[in-house]
Amino acid sequence: MAYDDLRSFLQTLDKEGQLLRITEEVMPEPDIAAAANAVPRLGDAAPALYFDNVTGFTDARIAMNVHGSWANHALALGLPKETGTKDQVQEFIRRWAKFPVKPEYREMPLWADNSVEGDDINVFDILPLFRLNDGDGGFYIDKAAVVSKDPDDPQNSGKQNVGIYRIEVKGKRKLALQPVPMHDIAQHLRKAEEKGEDLPIAITLGNDPVISIVAATPMEYDQNEYELAGALRGAPAPIAKAPLTGLPVPWGSEVVIEGVIEGRKREIEGPFGEFTGHYSGGRNMTVIRIDRISHRTDPVFEHLYLGMPWTEIDYLMAANTCVPLYQQLKRDFPEVQAVNAMYTHGLVVIVSVKKRYGGFAKAVGMRVLTTPHGLGYAATVIVVDEDVDPFNLPQVMWALSTKMNPSDDLVVVPNLPVLELAPQANAPGIIDKLIIDATTPVEPDRRGNYGNQVRDLPEMGAWLTKLQALAGR
Amino acid sequence: MEAQNTICPRCAHETIDKVYTSPVPGAWDVLQCAQCLYTWRTSEPPRRTQRDAYPDSFKMTVEDIANAPEVPTIPALRPTA
Repeated sequence: MAYDDLRSFLQTLDKEGQLLRITEEVMPEPDIAAAANAVPRLGDAAPALYFDNVTGFTDARIAMNVHGSWANHALALGLPKETGTKDQVQEFIRRWAKFPVKPEYREMPLWADNSVEGDDINVFDILPLFRLNDGDGGFYIDKAAVVSKDPDDPQNSGKQNVGIYRIEVKGKRKLALQPVPMHDIAQHLRKAEEKGEDLPIAITLGNDPVISIVAATPMEYDQNEYELAGALRGAPAPIAKAPLTGLPVPWGSEVVIEGVIEGRKREIEGPFGEFTGHYSGGRNMTVIRIDRISHRTDPVFEHLYLGMPWTEIDYLMAANTCVPLYQQLKRDFPEVQAVNAMYTHGLVVIVSVKKRYGGFAKAVGMRVLTTPHGLGYAATVIVVDEDVDPFNLPQVMWALSTKMNPSDDLVVVPNLPVLELAPQANAPGIIDKLIIDATTPVEPDRRGNYGNQVRDLPEMGAWLTKLQALAGR
Repeated sequence: MEAQNTICPRCAHETIDKVYTSPVPGAWDVLQCAQCLYTWRTSEPPRRTQRDAYPDSFKMTVEDIANAPEVPTIPALRPTA
């Protein structure tokens, strides 16, 4: 099932019992963020939340936690809501194999019904904005897919970018956006600023659920997010040309904000409670001038709470962080079995691998550090044997408990890049990275006293199936 | 923007602008500090709206603003032909 807009997905969530409508009157703060902070604590089948009775607003419609559980993530991909985490990652890998699937331009985009331009713009009139965390410097937009082009190669649709970035609302038509240097939009902005130009952008809010997933996927620079959306949906992603900038935007967005990042200009921004579970800022950040807003009638404001993990953002960048790392490692090392990069967008990466020869696991660990995503993340890489499931943390802990000798298996590589939001770095942006080799040494590496490992009994699998049937699960 | 008779909870600056008012009259206003750009709704809890209740760890000074790092760094202009 391919969803063309947010509303059709909300209907499915409702039908599946995965949308909780909060009908009592709530305060914009702290109620909405506190509820969104709380809801993931309900577990892997936590619902999305929908608010339409908010003090002071006459027609606010706010959707929170839309991707904030494995059940909702499964439904976003058209899978049964009971689908397990590892199965969702494997399905993601299978669908990625169909990449690229070209998007299709569609007429009469849903957001074209209403528009406002220039000095008539007041973003507060259109979005029921509110604060997420106590120390945030203001009201943020943090689940929008931002579209931009490479200023040196604007016709190249591969180099265009669709990504989610933190955006602070600073005035009726003024925003700030954080381009982390490792992310594609930062490359676009740098090129524009080197040329002394503004960078045109389109900020699209309230998208179909797969657009949010691809916008949060660390794809390679010349890979097109819409072409991945097509592969994941099993149908071309519907897009349309934004009226002012001509940028390709989702056909079904609730709101499309067009404008520019003003070149060579910075202004105080933040702090903001980030996906690391820590505040970052205040810093002098980019300034966006809004020139046009187009929107559906009665738009739904889809927003995302983030804080101490796990919150919605951790679900939104779990499977889609594992898969590109897996693909890139597998390309060079077919021995790689699985990659778990679900923790804090891959600041920790766990890889299971067959060993070609002694020392191989450490080499694979080093390769993780030089993947495009690994450059800015992967502060710690744990490499485990092929029979250890990286998604099974008790097994990973067993590997660390028994396969890792600190004298030989901890490799620290000093002064590597990391995103500036990583709070553990001594100087923001530079960190020593750690590879932990928790694999069993193989020839000619003869360390340890491993002898024979206890293996699952050959009959265990059949018994597991039988017991699951008997237990009714 | 309309000037307000209050101080910024975060940096104690005295120039505060009203940037929005609730569609339901009298429910709340959204205010913004002209110095540190902190933005708040008047209906938020005191820990976000009152200088004396605002957590020290979130407070900001003029020096903090002046010394805030640039993200990302503005690159050099390309040489013109």
